[in-house]
Parts: sequence; C-alpha cells; structure tokens
Amino acid sequence: MATAQDFVAQVNKVDGVAGCLLIKTDGVLLGQTLEDPEVYSTLMQIAGGQANDIKTRIGFSYCRYLSFSRVNSRHFYVFPIDNYLLGIVQRTDCYVPDMLEAVYRLIGRVSTTRSDVGELN
Amino acid sequence: MMHLIDELKVIPGVIGACIFSSQEGLKATNLPVIFKPERLNVVGKHLTKLYAAGRMSFDDLTDITLNYDESVVVARELERNTLIFAICDPSFNHNLLSMSFNLLQEEFKGDAFSSATAAETEASSVQAPAVKKLSQQPAAKVQQEISADLKGLLAEMKGALAKILGPMAEFVFDEVTEEWIEAGADFSRIDNLVEKINGEIGDARKAEEYRQLIAPALKNY
Repeated sequence: MATAQDFVAQVNKVDGVAGCLLIKTDGVLLGQTLEDPEVYSTLMQIAGGQANDIKTRIGFSYCRYLSFSRVNSRHFYVFPIDNYLLGIVQRTDCYVPDMLEAVYRLIGRVSTTRSDVGELN
Repeated sequence: MMHLIDELKVIPGVIGACIFSSQEGLKATNLPVIFKPERLNVVGKHLTKLYAAGRMSFDDLTDITLNYDESVVVARELERNTLIFAICDPSFNHNLLSMSFNLLQEEFKGDAFSSATAAETEASSVQAPAVKKLSQQPAAKVQQEISADLKGLLAEMKGALAKILGPMAEFVFDEVTEEWIEAGADFSRIDNLVEKINGEIGDARKAEEYRQLIAPALKNY
C-alpha cells in the first residue's frame, strides 16, 4: 500500500504540477513538495468545508475539485479525496486538461469513494 | 443588472448566473426556478467566505471554480463584497466565461452602470418579487449595547466554535452574531443564536459537540 509520501511524490511527477501537498481534513500535513505548505493548508481546509456546504445546499453529488485562478497563472487546485485534501500548484506553461486527468487517475487509485476514474472533463 | 447576467446565459453551457452582495444578499439571478433564491443566497454567502479565504492566500486571485459531478460553479468578485457566480454544465467554455466576466467587471465598475443600477433594480422588482425581497434587507447595522457578561459569554462561544470549525470560526461567528445582536442582544434569546450557529456548522454530530462545549458557559451565566 502506498504511503502518503509516495502518493505526493507521484503527483509531483505529473507534467504541469509545480508542487503539491496532502493534508487530512483536520489540517494535519501528511506530505508536501511545496516550500510553504502552511500558506495552502488553511485555505484547503476552508475550501473543502465550503465546497461541501455548497454541495449540500444545491444538491450536487460530489465535488471533483476546486480551483483558484490567479493572474500569474500559478493556479491552485484542491481535490477532496475521502478524508484528505490534495492541493496542487500548477506550472504556468502546462496544458491543464492533461494535468488534471493525470492527477485524477492517480486519485482514482487511492480513493475508496470514486467510481468514475478517467471521466474527468 | 439583469441584462448583464442575461448576456452570460447566452454562452453555451451556462445555465444561469447570480449577483450576490454580502451586505444586501441576492441582487439578481436568471437561474431556472429550481434554484430557489433562499438557497442561492446561502450559496452566495459560502462563495463570499471562500473568495475571502482565497484572497488572503493569493493577492492576485481572479476566479474560484468548483467542479461538481453535475455542474460547475464559477465565481468572480465584481467589487468589494459583491460577487457574480455562474452555474454551468461541465462542458461549458471556461475561457469564454472568464472573458465575459472581465467585460462585466469593467461595466459594473463604471459610473454609468452604478447610476443605472438603482433605476433597474426598481423596475425589476415587479418581475422578480422574491429577489427584490432579499435585496431589501437593511444594510445599515443597528448598534446595540451589550453587557460585559454577555460579551464574555460570546467570547467563550466563539472560542468553542474555533474547536469545531477551525480557521473559519471567527468569520462565521461574527457574521451570525452580528445578525443576532441586531435583533436584540438578550440572553433570553441565546438559544436562537446557538441554533443559527449550529445551522452554519451544518453537521449534526459537530453541532452536538458544540452544544456540549458551550453548555458549562451557558449554565454559569
């Protein structure tokens, strides 16, 4: 079974990923390749909670991911994975759909709740 | 204001959009009626919190996008405390929507638009009474005198909420408490405040945990 660090290392190898981190939903940091994980981990916690609340209010079934678009194009993505949150900083020169699909395939290998791996739009 | 979001609806895949002000609530929506104004108001509040959190981490934040299985929600800040958000099919054209947001943002900031807003809001009230009702919420906050004891109790309740909600506790507590104080800051209404906070927690188990945490403080008051 892959450890959190193995998983983070694999995600970090995906073309287009500038860095990533994995936290539990309570904020505990499990692994990271970013220099300043604390900048991201609090935001990830808040994002996970708010996305879940919106899901409940509107009646959506599952949040695939959230993204924070930035002027400098280093967009930040948050993927809820069961009781964990994966955060990814995108490289500015990447082709986003390919990056997201590759990340989603990796998530599909470790998630116990996802059944539609590979169907990312 | 409606014609601006109606333009967004023309974009393939965009189901509809809303303009939400954290002070005035839902200002305009052209989403299908299945998206009730009350729910959109709550979604607007959540998106405002999310945007504020994003802004704290990224100075250059433009949009936030939430990708759900069925739909995608995209939000952009038009001006301070005012968001526009669109609900779209997963196949929508994100670049086209972003460009349209840019144009709309410019228009919204323009003086001409600001002066036109009041007249349009009045005119649209006939067509959309539900939205008008929400936008009529008073922006001005009524200042209430609060006793030192009650202030102490509220501080304890806020501290307890931090154990449940983490970093968002302060934001949530201040917002809910502000409304509660406006309606009358009296200990006899404390159950009402606790209920509102539990509603924001949105999880029965955590809400019960919160009740247990604040029980000693309420008992000793």
